Amino acid sequence: MNDDVSQRHSAFRFHGSWQEFARIAFPNLLLTIVTLGIYRFWATTREREYLWSKTDFIDERLEWTGKGMELFIGFIMVFLLIGLPFIVIQLISQGLIFRGETIIAAVVTLMMFLLLFYLTGVAYFRALRYRLSRTYWRGIRGGSDDPGFQYGLAYMWKSVVGWLPIFLLVPWSMISLWNDRWNAMSFGPHRFSATAEWKPLMKRYLLFYLVPFLVFVGGIVFGISMAASGGAPNALGSTGIAIGAILAIIAVLSLYIVLPLAALAFYSKYFRLAVGGLRLQNLEFDFRARAPDWILFFLANMAIIVCTLGIGYIFMPYRNWKFFIDHMEAYGEINVDELTQSETVVAKHGEGLLDAFDVGAI
Amino acid sequence: MSAFFDAWHYDGKSAVRRKVEVQIIGPQFFLLETERRHGPFAFSDIEYVTHKDDADVYGLKEMDGWRLMLSGPVPTDLNAMLPARRNYGGWVDRLGFGKAAVAFTLVSAAAVAVVLLSPQWLAPLIPDSIDEKLGDALVGDFGGRFCSTPAGDAALKKLVASLDANPADLQVEVAKIDMINAVALPGGNVILFDGLVKQARSPDEVAGVLAHEIGHVREKHVMQALLRQMGLAVVLGGIDGNSGALVNNMLAMSYSRESEAEADAHSMKALGGANISPIGTASFFDRLSEMDGSAGSSKSETGITGYMSSHPLSRSRKEAFEKSIVKGKNYKPALTQAEWTELKTMCTQDRKAKSGFGFDFN
Repeated sequence: MNDDVSQRHSAFRFHGSWQEFARIAFPNLLLTIVTLGIYRFWATTREREYLWSKTDFIDERLEWTGKGMELFIGFIMVFLLIGLPFIVIQLISQGLIFRGETIIAAVVTLMMFLLLFYLTGVAYFRALRYRLSRTYWRGIRGGSDDPGFQYGLAYMWKSVVGWLPIFLLVPWSMISLWNDRWNAMSFGPHRFSATAEWKPLMKRYLLFYLVPFLVFVGGIVFGISMAASGGAPNALGSTGIAIGAILAIIAVLSLYIVLPLAALAFYSKYFRLAVGGLRLQNLEFDFRARAPDWILFFLANMAIIVCTLGIGYIFMPYRNWKFFIDHMEAYGEINVDELTQSETVVAKHGEGLLDAFDVGAI
Repeated sequence: MSAFFDAWHYDGKSAVRRKVEVQIIGPQFFLLETERRHGPFAFSDIEYVTHKDDADVYGLKEMDGWRLMLSGPVPTDLNAMLPARRNYGGWVDRLGFGKAAVAFTLVSAAAVAVVLLSPQWLAPLIPDSIDEKLGDALVGDFGGRFCSTPAGDAALKKLVASLDANPADLQVEVAKIDMINAVALPGGNVILFDGLVKQARSPDEVAGVLAHEIGHVREKHVMQALLRQMGLAVVLGGIDGNSGALVNNMLAMSYSRESEAEADAHSMKALGGANISPIGTASFFDRLSEMDGSAGSSKSETGITGYMSSHPLSRSRKEAFEKSIVKGKNYKPALTQAEWTELKTMCTQDRKAKSGFGFDFN
């Protein structure tokens, strides 16, 4: 029993509508407010249940089986194991500063920062693991047996190596960490293989990296040429000053507009490369959104949020998921007889860490 | 909804989809394929999983990935045996959306009320020993920044004794820090900053501020604020970072204004009891109001902002102190000229005390 994926338009299809999603999102918002935020774990679950159930992979819908209680327990665990100790440590280090023990206070603060850094890495890993272990397709789920503690270390040193040469190796660390994460994951009996390359990402990264310099240098060159051709300042008078002011405004604006655009262009390439390097047995994946798609998506999101005075924010999970699925593609074939149940462990708690650190990722 | 009843099954062991018929035998059922029979399964083990397009999806306890998907009009005998659909999650579904929303609102309001109001009667219940230990831990010797000369100490002691009936359980010190500020800390610790003493034009001004801080100690404001902050952190912990902190700060701020008013009232009473004129304190606030802008001028000075931020506007405080002047009363200066000079120059004389702070706090 083989399904030939490549004959279809796209292996992934999304059938949801924002009106249906609104009927979930608005009651969620209300319940979240009246419970002082506690309902948000159940709200997230309900939204995912909807989004997954409206997503086709080949010929069957996805299924989200995560529970609000799991996310809540994860959050409580983080609060007790990390939040409270950190508040205590902060109080102690403040007391140390009061007493003039600034060096000890600095060391304590540094340790705290390093631990947070490590846990952020672990959190990224475990969030992906949790999401895969709660995603079912044809009764089969994903997961990982790796608890992610090693990954936390890799996250630390690879990030630092990425930053050290004046941030020039960030693309390497991003791709390398993506590969590390996905190589530890599996779906059913099959292990994912992630072999994305980082070098093709460098050109886009340098573009983003050099934007501030280019704007700055461009401004100076323009200014000098203006000054050289303008002659005596008295002759031009106020028009000269006005032109200068306009140029300065253009320079600042272009920084604010060009920089996010360059960042999106970089991220689009990153995501395309990262997903493109992903394999599951005979399946290959592809992400087809290019820089203009990302830019339009980003601008539309901003417009929705601004025009609805912020309420449109509750539709962002819907928009993100739709954008993700609309551009996902898979090639190859799956043998459903061989796609047997995953034997990975199922953690009983959700993305507590990631949730607490407020990092969202697909 | 399709017009016909359909049942599909995944056994959770492989991804093969099976078209089945449900054969009910008492509390159990079999799933019949053309050439195979699955089961028996107990209805009591069936769990509602999710709703997928036009099908309801059920799972089986302890069987990872086992699925029974029913679409179309489910036969009544089967329907009667199946668990109820889940929509919002346990409690909300049981109560109904409207009732649950109201119930959650009431519980949340009660929780916030308890956290805001209970510190007032909880704080006095905290044993003095804990309060003192906390004070010691926090203040210690203040990094050697306390100033001390025999004559200066005597002047300070006299001032405290005139303002408070039990000066023994207060630790009042002058710290060599060039900021116009004063703080009340746990354990009856009151710290006057040298900057405040130096810029005061009369001992009456210092007496007013000191009596204000003693008011915080006597009214247990410090412990109350600590308890309230901890309680709010727990109750509002469920809300996302920024909005939670904003609500927290707003609530804490409104309470701190109330505390400031109480401390001012305490100060006026203590000044009256000690026969010290409140006019000095009023003129002190008058000068402050010129610096904090409530008098229309916007001259700002570092150090003043911290003191001002949580305090009522200096101008209205000045008026309150002016009103507390009793006409015809025979006020006497808080300290003699010699004592005042000693207090004012205490930190200049004491060369052993370390100076400066390196950071701002209030």
